[in-house]
Formats: sequence, C-alpha cells, structure tokens
Amino acid sequence: MTVRHAILGLLAQKPRHGYELRAAFSVVVGGDMNWEVKPAQIYTTLDRLEEAGLVELASDLGEGDEPSRRVYKITTEGRVILDEWLSCGVTPEYMRDEFFVKLMIALVTDMADPWRLIQTQRSHLYQDLHDATRQRETYDPRTEMAQILLLDKAIMYLEADLRWLDMIETRLDEVRDQPLPEPEIRKRGRPRKGQTGSEYPPPD
Amino acid sequence: MSIISTENLSKVYGSGATTVTALEKINLKVNSGQFVAVMGPSGCGKSTLLHLIGGLDKPTEGDIKIEGVSITQMPDDQLTELRRRKIGFVFQFFNLIPVMTAVENAALPVTLDGIKPADAYKRATKWLERFELGDRLSSRPDQLSGGQQQRVAIARALVADPTLILADEPTGNVDTRSGDEIAGLLRDVSKQYDRTVIMVTHDPRIAAYADRIVFLKDGKVVDETLLDRKNHGAAAVTRMIKEIGD
Ligand SMILES: Nc1ncnc2c1ncn2[C@@H]1O[C@H](COP(=O)(O)OP(=O)(O)OP(=O)(O)O)[C@@H](O)[C@H]1O
Ligand SMILES: [Mg+2]
Repeated sequence: MTVRHAILGLLAQKPRHGYELRAAFSVVVGGDMNWEVKPAQIYTTLDRLEEAGLVELASDLGEGDEPSRRVYKITTEGRVILDEWLSCGVTPEYMRDEFFVKLMIALVTDMADPWRLIQTQRSHLYQDLHDATRQRETYDPRTEMAQILLLDKAIMYLEADLRWLDMIETRLDEVRDQPLPEPEIRKRGRPRKGQTGSEYPPPD
Repeated sequence: MSIISTENLSKVYGSGATTVTALEKINLKVNSGQFVAVMGPSGCGKSTLLHLIGGLDKPTEGDIKIEGVSITQMPDDQLTELRRRKIGFVFQFFNLIPVMTAVENAALPVTLDGIKPADAYKRATKWLERFELGDRLSSRPDQLSGGQQQRVAIARALVADPTLILADEPTGNVDTRSGDEIAGLLRDVSKQYDRTVIMVTHDPRIAAYADRIVFLKDGKVVDETLLDRKNHGAAAVTRMIKEIGD
C-alpha cells in the first residue's frame, strides 16, 4: 500500500515524528483535499512498520513519548522494501468506475433517465475541471512544478472522462438494444472446468 | 441586465428541398461580464449562433437584443456602426495582415475608424502589453508563434473598446499550452476588464475556463451548466508547505 511506502521514503529522507510525517505526506500529494490521511492511520502504519522491523524509534532524538512526538527512522530492511517498491511499475485504478456502475444500475432498474445521468455527470466533471484549472494557475512554475504536474494529470483524466461521456451518449441506444449483462447462475454443484459464474443457492 | 437576449432565434439556410435548419428557437440570455462557452458536435450551429449575435448574418425567425435593443430589424448602416463600437470578433485563424507589425495589426480597427495613428497605436500597445507582448510590438505575424498571433488578434478585437467579445474556436489552431494561455486571457478579459465573452469551443479543457457552458445539439440548446468560481484551498496548501519547512 502506497501510504506505507511513502512513509518509508519520507523516513529514508530523514528521521521524523508522526505529526511531521502526516504533514510531509500531505505536501507531497498536493494537500489534504487531494489525498487525506488521518493521523490515526499514520500511527497505525508506523506501529505495523515497527513490528515488521522496517522502521525503529530514533530514541536518541528524545522528543517525548506521545505517538505524535515519537521520532522514527528507517531500518536496513525498510530500505530493501522501499527499493523494491521503487523498482516496479504501477497500474492506476482505471477499471473501477463509479459512474459506469451508476449508469448500469440506472439501465437495469429503469429508475433514472440515463441521458440525465450523463448530463449530471458532465456538469459535475466540468466543475471539477474548472476547479483543477483554477488551482493549477495558483501554483508558481518556478517553485511548484510538481504540484502543477499532478494537476495536469487530473486535468487530462477529466478531459478523457468528458470525451468518454460524449462517446457513451452517441452509443447509448446500442447499449440499450443489447441484452444487459447478467451473471450466469448454475444449479448447485461442482463448477465445471474453466467455468466461472455464481451458484444458487450460494455455497456455505 | 442581460447584455444579450435571443428570443426563439432560428436560422434556416437554403430554400426548397435543400434547406438546413442550423438553429431552432434558441432562447439565450447572457449577463454582462459573463464568460460563456458554447459547445456541441460539429454542425450543431455554434458558428451560426455567434454570427447572428454578432450581426454578421440575419435570422430567419426570432429576435436578438444587444443591451435591450433589437438588432434584427436594424438598418445595415446602423448595424455596422453597432458592430464596430460594441463587438469584437476573434476567429480560429488569426487573419493578421502579414506586412503589418503587431501594433499596426492590433490598431487596425481604430485606424480604419479615422483615429490618429499615434492614438491608435497607444491604445493597441496598452492591450498588447496587458497580453505580455510589450516586447513584440514591431514584430510581424511571421515572426510570432501561433499563440502570440492569437493574442495580437484578441488585442485587435479589444482595441475599439467593445463590451462584447465573440470568439469562434479561438484555440483551434494552437497547441495545448497556448490554448490554455488564450483561454486564461479571455477569462481575464471578462473578469478583470469586465467584458462579456462568448466563446465557441469543442475542447473541454478550454470550456472549463468559462463561467457557464451552453450545450447545443441539432440547432437547439440541450443543456447548460454554471461553473462556480470557488478557490480550492490552494492557500491552505501553501500555508502547510511553509509550516513544514523546518
Ligand atoms: N452558409 C451556409 N449555407 C448553407 N448551410 C450552412 C451555411 N452555414 C452553415 N450551414 C449549415 O448549418 C449547420 C450549422 O453550421 P455551423 O457552421 O453553425 O456549425 P458549427 O456548430 O459551427 O460546426 P463546427 O463545429 O464544425 O464549426 C450545418 O449543418 C452547416 O452545414
Ligand atoms: Mg463552427
């Protein structure tokens, strides 16, 4: 999980206490509104990392005992894990699309007008795109290029989603003419080789 | 008050068997100082709408009012006068005159209007400087990038101090980065200099700069959306960065 690796990385940079780690993570991701990690999550993660021997208390810095003031540093094992993480590729989450699921549910239930759904989503995305564009302009390219690049990514994603909505709109009639996806339900029994699907009644 | 209002505005091209309904009963109101993007698929009537609002073409039916005055029945000379005083046009192709410098191009509408060249250049220079072209005043179009040429064209549209700017695909012929610059500049024209701007685009990224998006399809307004100008906590992030800096 990324937060864990980010914590390892921030500790590889220098020893820090929990409060500072949270703030440092927030800055790296461009603010809490982009990716908020609660203090409790930081402290639990630090505990787990400590148990796994990836970080340890840097007691010599003696900043106090409450979780937020305990100073941690990375261990040799921690560096190995961090190094592994840094050396492999990342698949972004592009298949899990809430709007797509909403549209499908609207089509199967007939509870909402799909055209309206598309337009509502379009307005929503335009508002996000408007906000991202404005936020991007508040950054100074001489000192905040990293933040600008993150927003460029957000802007490109939003553009792609808006174009995708146009595409859905032009093909919606085809989707509605086709049978809507239904799982394959089989009688209870051993699954046949190479077959997927659900059983009814469900196995216990 | 609305600076523009259209009432059942319709435009049919051609006659007999080959008619094309480009616009059908458009009712649109635009408030003064608003930055409006008009979007929609190719052929849906975006350019036609802009041309009618700008008095470049006459509607088949319906009415257009600019600042409460109907322009549909206006005699041609009066309409030309109104266009010259109140409306500035920006197009996809910059249409600058190749043998003229940036300042001469930008000053053209007012020099043609009989204003003394020195005064005209002063006015043009003011806009070019606002658009960060102060050091390119005597460059000719072939010495400027596409984005810079479009900024000269926007300065030209503003030099006669119109209240309304109509832009048809102003970023259609420049790269993404210049497109952003031009869209941002048109927003400044609207917000900082208090002009009404109507911009046709099919680029979502560019439309996102506007206050309001009007969606056209088959000659009709099918939807619209208002965009809030809230500022997304950027100041808070800056504060945090400072806090952390040891
Ligand atoms: N002078 C004309 N004579 C006949 N038909 C025309 C004329 N101008 C436009 N049309 C037709 O009117 C319709 C609307 O055209 P318009 O140029 O307004 O579309 P648009 O939305 O600007 O398209 P695009 O995005 O491609 O620029 C189209 O079907 C077009 O073919
Ligand atoms: Mg057009």
